[in-house]
Amino acid sequence: MGAGALTCLMFVVVALNAIAAAAGLALFAVAIWVAVDGYKLYPISGVSGKDDIFAAAWIAIFTGFAFFLTCIFGIFAALKRSRALMMVYLIIMFIIFLFECASAITAATNRDYLVGNSNLVKKQMLQYYGQDSIQGKQITQTWNRVMEQVECCGADSPEDWILYNSTFKQIYPTYNWPLSCCKRLSSFELQDPAGCKVGLTSTLFTKGCFNYIESVLSRYTWAVSWYGFSVLMLVFFTLVIAMIYFMQLE
Amino acid sequence: MKTNTVISLMSLMSIWMWTGEGQIFQPELTSNAFLAKVTSNTVILKQPYCVFNQPCPGCEIWLVAGLCSANGTFDALVNSSTTNILSLSPYPTAFNPSSNNFFLTRVGLLSDFPCNQYPNDRYFVVGADGICSGVNCNGVLPDGSTVCFKYLLIDANRTLINSSNWSGNITLPKLLPLQTIYDGLSARSGAMVVITTILCVAAALLLLLFLIMLCVTCCRPTKKDSKQISVMNSIRIPRYDTHNLKERVHPYDNPAYQSDLKNYSTSSTLPKNGARKL
Repeated sequence: MGAGALTCLMFVVVALNAIAAAAGLALFAVAIWVAVDGYKLYPISGVSGKDDIFAAAWIAIFTGFAFFLTCIFGIFAALKRSRALMMVYLIIMFIIFLFECASAITAATNRDYLVGNSNLVKKQMLQYYGQDSIQGKQITQTWNRVMEQVECCGADSPEDWILYNSTFKQIYPTYNWPLSCCKRLSSFELQDPAGCKVGLTSTLFTKGCFNYIESVLSRYTWAVSWYGFSVLMLVFFTLVIAMIYFMQLE
Repeated sequence: MKTNTVISLMSLMSIWMWTGEGQIFQPELTSNAFLAKVTSNTVILKQPYCVFNQPCPGCEIWLVAGLCSANGTFDALVNSSTTNILSLSPYPTAFNPSSNNFFLTRVGLLSDFPCNQYPNDRYFVVGADGICSGVNCNGVLPDGSTVCFKYLLIDANRTLINSSNWSGNITLPKLLPLQTIYDGLSARSGAMVVITTILCVAAALLLLLFLIMLCVTCCRPTKKDSKQISVMNSIRIPRYDTHNLKERVHPYDNPAYQSDLKNYSTSSTLPKNGARKL
């Protein structure tokens, strides 16, 4: 290959590595956002033991930063036109590629288990809401906050509390559903306690909370999974060009 | 004939209008759209306005709540013994296997439910006291049973004055145990399938390309040297004049052949790497 073409290829490799470094850093930032869990819905996945979305986010934090560092090293190796450095770069990038693949696949798969339909969330709510264990307290706090802020009740509707036996029903047999389902005034008092107790639809929230929970967990998943996928496609292309460059060296 | 049918129709219509005006003579479910109108162990009824239209100072309206299969039992007990029917079947043991399967609970004073008012939004919850222990407390009904209700007019001496009809059968839904919810995997989303397949293919391709690249770079020693030698009669001449001779002096050149052949001795035509490998 002529010297001019080789220089051109070197610039292409350097440019692609620069873009991949930026993309890796952005993946690092997005994965930190997921791991921080601003919507505070971690107990819903943690209590069932299906918190792989957050595990994948942790992996993506490390691989994103590793992509950033390795791509900068790749720029240096390409500029130096050194075969050994390029080989090291290719091996390290391949290893990080495999880890990031694992992260993206794990997040997407786990999301299906967790929020494919409302059954798991509903069963967890009925089992743990009001229970006196650590998981019970976490779930109770999470559901109370979601029901009050999002203005919803139950997983699909308030009838979840009536149709199924639940820990809440055993502890408070005279209440049909938790008081968080009731509409409140701006002073946080209940708007109509008696009406909420019998189910007057103007005094309690009638939509289910599952849509909100599903949208938040899906948002986390797509952040890790789809963005990780797009970074991987860019890195795949970069590595193919880098391999061609490696073959043309010396 | 025609006048007969007309008269009978008119009388039927007047009876229908008279009954439609508000003289319900049995307990009924509330007409409000409450979400908890009929749960697995509670029922919400209308308040007994205008059920008993007779003057009766100090009288109270009581409710008989029990399994529909116990309607006959209650009626027989009422007919046979008129002494203190209010303690016939105390709530705590009312629904035991060998018990009467009904209980009585107080709704309110007759004077609280006059006939000239007819608020349709007032309701009465059967089972509001939960699992209670009083004799006539408003306890919950058995889970998933078919229940019937009846109003009784009781006077101050605790004797039965009047009773309404039995209500229709009300079937309570059975409470589902939460273990019946199947929380396994429902379906795989399309996105997950796409991501998994494409990433697996990409990783495999990358590995394959990497191995091909390693094979190609490590196993092609001959290709490189063929490019360097560009003369017709290619003879590799090792350079013996590197150490103690200046670049310009090439004593191994035969000036007689300089015009015919290419000048091997200049550094640009001598094979560099090939010479070293020898």
